[in-house]
Amino acid sequence: MLILSVESSCDETAVALVKDGRCVLTDQIFSQADLHAVYGGVVPEIAARSHLEVISLLAERALTAAGITRADVDAVACTYAPGLIGAVLVGVNFAKSAALALGVPLIPVHHIRGHIAANYIAYPELEPPFLCLAISGGNTMLVDVRGYTDMHILGQTRDDAAGECFDKSARVLGLGYPGGKPIDDLAKRGDDTRYELPRPYVGQNPYDMSFSGLKTAVINIAHHCEQTGEPLDKAGLAASLCRAVSESLVGRTMAAAKELGYTKIAVAGGVAANSRIRADFTAACEKAGCALYIPPMKLCGDNGAMIGAQGYYEYLAGRTADSRLNAYATMPL
Amino acid sequence: MLMLALESSAKAASAALFEDEKLLAVSVSNAGLTHSRTLLPMAEDLLRNLDKSVRDVGLVAVAHGPGSFTGLRIGMAEAKGLCWALQIPVIGVSTLEAMAFGGPDMDSSMLCCAMDARRGQVYNALFTVRDGRPVRLTDDRAISLAELEPELNSYGKPWILLGDGAELCYNTLDKDKLSLHLAPEPLRLQNARGVGLAAMGKAPQPVDALLPVYLRLSQAERERQAKLS
Ligand SMILES: [Zn+2]
Repeated sequence: MLILSVESSCDETAVALVKDGRCVLTDQIFSQADLHAVYGGVVPEIAARSHLEVISLLAERALTAAGITRADVDAVACTYAPGLIGAVLVGVNFAKSAALALGVPLIPVHHIRGHIAANYIAYPELEPPFLCLAISGGNTMLVDVRGYTDMHILGQTRDDAAGECFDKSARVLGLGYPGGKPIDDLAKRGDDTRYELPRPYVGQNPYDMSFSGLKTAVINIAHHCEQTGEPLDKAGLAASLCRAVSESLVGRTMAAAKELGYTKIAVAGGVAANSRIRADFTAACEKAGCALYIPPMKLCGDNGAMIGAQGYYEYLAGRTADSRLNAYATMPL
Repeated sequence: MLMLALESSAKAASAALFEDEKLLAVSVSNAGLTHSRTLLPMAEDLLRNLDKSVRDVGLVAVAHGPGSFTGLRIGMAEAKGLCWALQIPVIGVSTLEAMAFGGPDMDSSMLCCAMDARRGQVYNALFTVRDGRPVRLTDDRAISLAELEPELNSYGKPWILLGDGAELCYNTLDKDKLSLHLAPEPLRLQNARGVGLAAMGKAPQPVDALLPVYLRLSQAERERQAKLS
């Protein structure tokens, strides 16, 4: 089954062609990061405008790159939630009218489910059940993936997402937007014990997380240095931050795996590209005898292929929609 | 050939079907639901009720702005999805021009098309009717009511007000000085019939060339420009 999939929930427009949920024929991605960089973060109106400008172009390029015709497309999938509403609306309305015109089923896909499904592309042998930590600019959650479309959130951030914490910290360090990559690069040259940063535990649920205190601590250290003239060890702060975030995430994930008896652990989302987090997971899983699944860098960030992958399983589960499909800023997993 | 026209620039959304320049059917939804829920189903219903298939559609016309940013994008994303999938061209028409085409068509009528653009402005264009067709007197623009008033006055003729900003103009502009008339309610608001009529005679474009005309930068861009200048 060949699915044409559309992603437009944040600042990447993507159209992919995915066969049977696992094989990516092409993934045409247009990143708007440059458009938002001068504003220090994603501007929703600019994102929505840009999506509309490029979406049909990307769809056409996808067909050309895969060497197929419209008649070969068996279904159209799209991210319908969660995301920046104006942005998601563009993809949803393009996808549903394309599905109607092609005479094929329309499949709504939850964006975070898509991130998790990026692992099915990277690891053809991976099947649920497994435990997955989904970490991105907008979400941070630990998910019990019982089936392809049967998921339960074990814990999630109570405030900022891990990616938000990196982006805001990058801003005070003068590293620009998006902040994940420059923080990661800087951290590699720093001493991760240089600054003492909090690792808060929140509430009753041991798997819930919080990153706003960590973000505030980083900002306070930077401001303190600015005010007192004390030199700021930026690389040390970046390294200490990466370590604190990683320990929060990896510790909880491994504890959940142990408690639930999982030996398959997957990581998903843009923050999964962070090299400290990847290294810590690799070490922790080796020690615990768990198999670790982390998608390659290009499948960590937002992309169209992951929506096509999850879309296939949503289709098998009978979850299709008609032309009344709407977009939503938030939606339970 | 079947032409589908879409309008989603303001609160109401509508779809219309034309066959060889003849209006076959119109559907309007003003129930307060998002256009993302109503617009495409309306188009689908029009086709179904006339025993037509979406594959019979050979051309899509859509209001390209100005108007509600989100509303415009819903209609235009749907137009793009249809045209891309069907490999057919598209015609983007000005929301204000579509309004004029959907309005009264008595010769020599002076049409003032307006949408509430907030911040003391209206999106506006002026037309006069010749041989049953609106002819442009101005470009589409965002203009303050204070600027619009003397301009309307300078023509020395009565004006018919159209669009979702018609009442705003009627209530705000100086009625003693200007002779203002609200267009009859069924003709006042923009709808897809006007979009289709305005599209006739315009050159179809490839789908990738269809771009919205917002007439206004995003707030972030405006603030940034203000800071830089
Ligand atoms: Zn994402």
